[in-house]
Amino acid sequence: MQSASSSKVGAAAWLVGPAFFGLAAWLWFGGGGVEIPRRPDVPVDLRRLSTAPRRVTIGDPPTIRINNYERHCNDCHQVFEISEEQRANRMQHQHVELQHGINVQCRHCHDARDMNGLLLRDETHIAFAEVDRLCAQCHPKVHEDWVLGIHGRINGHWDPAQGEVRKLGCIECHDPHRPRTPAMDRLAPLPGPHTLRMGEPAVHGELHHPEERDPLRRAAQGLGASKAEEHR
Amino acid sequence: MTERTVDRRNFLRASLGAAGGMAAFAAAVSPLKDFDTSDLTLEGFLQKHYKEMTPEDKEQALERIRKEVEERYAVRPELRDLPPIDGVEFGYALNLGRCIGCRRCVHACVEENNQSRDPEIQYIRVLELPRGSIDVERSDHHYDDREVPNPDSFYMPVQCHQCANPPCVKVCPVEATWREADGVVVVDYDWCIGCRYCAAACPYFARRFNYAEPEIPKERLNPNMNYLSNRPRKKGVMEKCHFCLQRTRAGRMPACLEVCPVGARQFGNLLDPESNVSQILKTKQIFVLKQEAGTLPRFFYYFD
Repeated sequence: MQSASSSKVGAAAWLVGPAFFGLAAWLWFGGGGVEIPRRPDVPVDLRRLSTAPRRVTIGDPPTIRINNYERHCNDCHQVFEISEEQRANRMQHQHVELQHGINVQCRHCHDARDMNGLLLRDETHIAFAEVDRLCAQCHPKVHEDWVLGIHGRINGHWDPAQGEVRKLGCIECHDPHRPRTPAMDRLAPLPGPHTLRMGEPAVHGELHHPEERDPLRRAAQGLGASKAEEHR
Repeated sequence: MTERTVDRRNFLRASLGAAGGMAAFAAAVSPLKDFDTSDLTLEGFLQKHYKEMTPEDKEQALERIRKEVEERYAVRPELRDLPPIDGVEFGYALNLGRCIGCRRCVHACVEENNQSRDPEIQYIRVLELPRGSIDVERSDHHYDDREVPNPDSFYMPVQCHQCANPPCVKVCPVEATWREADGVVVVDYDWCIGCRYCAAACPYFARRFNYAEPEIPKERLNPNMNYLSNRPRKKGVMEKCHFCLQRTRAGRMPACLEVCPVGARQFGNLLDPESNVSQILKTKQIFVLKQEAGTLPRFFYYFD
């Protein structure tokens, strides 16, 4: 009995070799491996990843160049009287479209006597750099958040000990003459994911099932390029 | 005791067996002949676990990686190993009322952190959800509107939540991923064996695996690198968001935050009661994603 079973084991041992050969042959011909699907890289335009503020402010006091000379607001406004009646048919500043609640005249925010700065309700003249004090008169809750650093973006450093904490000011995002609701303009989104783990983008009318949009599963099942892949 | 004789039959049988065995072994290990050893150095192979390295070992490893990067990308990287800062635990807060789903953060992250462009790897996933619901099962990350935001939707960017109780760390069989003193969960790319247990354990879908050799165009490589964050990875290792350690441990803001056009993202030190994230936790209605999972994220969502 004992010798019979050990001879069976002996016979089975002879199968190990061929099995090993079979496995080797399978691996040799690339068995089990999946070719990872690749696709050409479509680099995102770096200009669309700008960290600059969305609005460009022109300095404090606001400065423009006219024929190689730097000019400030007062250079004109000390000479020409502002007439609130003429606001409707201006010759300058025609791009300004004033739609900001109860503020319907320039002097509601700008200091008519010193146009290089702004005027608070209590007649205090402030510089353009302090514009948040002007905004705070009507938007105290938002201003409180901004002071705490929880409204709006902070560029540069989170740690003031290691570098500049560049807190963006009110008018670097919001247009003071015509603030929008919601505050930000709509944007074209950057391209969506086309990754192995997140799958391929949907193409209308094709490949609705998430499994069909999984590039690894497609490769493993030997399916060809998807419509989304051909679409590119 | 019988005397063993080498006759013709025994000799042939033994030598045939030996030759066959050797051939079979050679065939079985033959896939190794395609194994790319160009980036495998003895030094790299013998390198210790990050936590067991002495300062000299670390400097040696940094120098080896600098050389490898220079060879492959023709750029001498500014590679460092920045330590956690004392008294700092990083926290992230994201205002869901602000996010417009423009995906600037996704791509700024790819550029900053040297993710593979082919196949594409992205750390941040922006979910589009129907307005009035927070059911992530009904979310879509493939939205393709011409302009965002879609008035019927809101957007929820998801990235690594840097959990204080991280399931991914618990399942790693080789301790290649761990939570640092500043709360950031990191991966030692030289220690990872690519088993992908962590990706399966993560309830936030935050981990990404290099299924193929990562491809980054030379001119798009970010040379500001850190050992535990954005140095180039290899095929077969796991990676994920690490709050831009190469920036944040030097006091700077993460790349995804700096590019956000609506200021929806806030980042700071949770241990400083005056910091912006601490103020958000104090003054806003906040929530964490999948609170019931007990992961204690350091990434908070809020509305205002």
